[in-house]
Amino acid sequence: MQKEELRSEDKKSSYELFFDIPVGPQHPALKEPAFFKFKVEGERVIGVDADVSYNHRGIEKALEQRNYIQNIYLIERICGICNVAHTLCYAQAVEQIHGKEIPPRANYIRLMIEELARIHSHTLWLGVAAHEIGFDTLFMYVWRDREVVMDLIEMLTGNRVTTAINTIGGVRRDVSDEAKYKVKKGMDILEERLKYYKKVAINDPTINARCSGVGILKPRDAIKLCAVGPTLRASGIKNDVRADDPYALHDEVPFNVITYDTMDVLARVLVRVDETLESVNMVRYCVDHMPSGEVKIKLPLSPPIGESVSRVEAPRGELIHYARSNGTNKPERYKVRTPTFENIPSVCEMLTSKNGYEVNIADIPITLASIDPCFSCTARMEFRDVSKGKTWIWSLEELKAHCKKKGI
Amino acid sequence: MYPLLELLQILIFPGILFAIFLAFIYEWLDRKIYAKFQNRVGPLYTGPMGILQPFADFVKLLAKEDIVPNDVDKPLFNILPIFALTLSLTGFLALPIISLKGIISFNGDLIFLIVLMTLICIVVIYAGVSSSNRFSTVGAERAALQLLGYEIPMMLSVVSVGIMANSMWIYEIVSIQSNTFWFLIGPGILGFAIFIICGQAELERIPFDIPEAETEIVAGWLTEFSGRKFALFRLTRNVELLYLSGLAVTLFLGGPSGPIILGLEPILYPIYFLIKTLFVLFLLTTLRALFARLRIDQMVNFSWKYLIPIAILHILFVRVIF
Repeated sequence: MQKEELRSEDKKSSYELFFDIPVGPQHPALKEPAFFKFKVEGERVIGVDADVSYNHRGIEKALEQRNYIQNIYLIERICGICNVAHTLCYAQAVEQIHGKEIPPRANYIRLMIEELARIHSHTLWLGVAAHEIGFDTLFMYVWRDREVVMDLIEMLTGNRVTTAINTIGGVRRDVSDEAKYKVKKGMDILEERLKYYKKVAINDPTINARCSGVGILKPRDAIKLCAVGPTLRASGIKNDVRADDPYALHDEVPFNVITYDTMDVLARVLVRVDETLESVNMVRYCVDHMPSGEVKIKLPLSPPIGESVSRVEAPRGELIHYARSNGTNKPERYKVRTPTFENIPSVCEMLTSKNGYEVNIADIPITLASIDPCFSCTARMEFRDVSKGKTWIWSLEELKAHCKKKGI
Repeated sequence: MYPLLELLQILIFPGILFAIFLAFIYEWLDRKIYAKFQNRVGPLYTGPMGILQPFADFVKLLAKEDIVPNDVDKPLFNILPIFALTLSLTGFLALPIISLKGIISFNGDLIFLIVLMTLICIVVIYAGVSSSNRFSTVGAERAALQLLGYEIPMMLSVVSVGIMANSMWIYEIVSIQSNTFWFLIGPGILGFAIFIICGQAELERIPFDIPEAETEIVAGWLTEFSGRKFALFRLTRNVELLYLSGLAVTLFLGGPSGPIILGLEPILYPIYFLIKTLFVLFLLTTLRALFARLRIDQMVNFSWKYLIPIAILHILFVRVIF
């Protein structure tokens, strides 16, 4: 019945001034399933309706059914590109319940791999963004240079993308002197190339035409809508978990929090490029100042009863993990809050035309891409009564009460 | 005079078969050069250095399922791909290749060629509208807007050639150029640049691939076309690429003329033609590799703020000199 209604709506709209453009769940601009319904008038976007819940994988429930070691590998698969941030966050949360500190060398290696993963994620994003505005040459060049960091990650961890380096109590692999030398050489190449790309992003007339003044997010809105990560920093707000709440020795390794105040897509490009340059310097610092010693301490499989919250600055923004242990070898409750989910309201705000601010259909892909979306971790469950058109979310207690009432 | 010979000329050389063959080769070259600019290898496996790849793509598309959605305007939807290909091939027949005269040649044929190009764009608009798909509709809308942007400067640049040669007959334009060692490239260089930029827009290539912008509106006006119809549209694009570079050569670079050994013209003319069109193709591909896609409002803005005033000034300049 709902389908018929939709169809009649379609038929009506084609004779009217406004019509809907569906972007997703399958669309060339989106690499993952999400659905954005744009109301357009000619080329102008009037409103947007987002549905990001296409791929609910039940990760949190699955985490509660596996033991802490198995969970490392499941956590890693929440997101391919931020896998280092996820395992780091998980390992920190569990170590906090144990109440143990890990050796400094392990922390340095964690930080180095995290920054390498940030370089990899940001360069990947830069390529995708170039592709979204039709600049395929830049896309190919950036992805070619990204291979440098991919090779380094493979050399250090054994895998190109899914690194599986962080574990509870430290890291799985040590870094040899030869590897350090190669990392430093790789950083030199990357620094040179990234400086060049920064110059391109600032000077190229077509990139400027497509990116500056597009996808504007005012600082007030950014705070109100809980934007995180580079999206927030491109609106001129200095907020970075690495600086605000240092973890994994971020207070020892010097770095700058990058902010730009033009609030548009170009600012997000420049924030990411500059952050990558900062990461290059941080990796260099880690290589130079890495202390000697153990890289792992042995911890018992079952942590004591307790709970913890751990925060990590993932490439896409602030990532929060919450763990509660009941003393067995499986977590009682595990909660993951991913940065893309937090940025969805902001991107809807960016894509709505307001007085004096126009959004074109052509701006949709680059604006969507500007938050570096990773929709696979945004799915949440909700209940929907189709006949009444009502949507709601139940807490666990309410769900239990409902089941009891129905006798399930 | 010789009906059989003329038929052979139209069908085989330098007519339809030659055009299609050359179109495939040019697509391959375009892809190869584009790949070189991007530090890739491009087509590699089909034939030596992948030279058969465009042909293989074409055959594969012909064999694919041809889907006609329920809501499309069926007669229009079915006839448009054939219509588009016919138009671009007809245009090619009017280009001088083996002699200073094209196969189709009459006084005022320059206007005919321009009309053909506009018609191809109108076919594109119809194709988008007849698909009754939202992306196609937006694509058609953009194609129409883009036509407003590039058509006028393009015509102005062609008219400037007409003024220089004092004729609207391609045969006369080419023979004047061959007599005076392509004087058009000197004062006509601005017109040539405008023509190349507008040609890029006509061909819907980066930075003007707005009507079929992949990441924005899927494939624009092409979205609903599949199988045979899509293959024909792709072939149309390739023949059009060949036709436009041929037209640029004819108007600004002296067509097939060059140093001639008497008696060997039918062999030398096509060779000169090929060399010159390759040069134009290289220019078109370079432009494609250097930029990001513009937005439709920026494209129209660019055209009306810069291209058209420059084209008008160029015409005034040419009129004063000649």
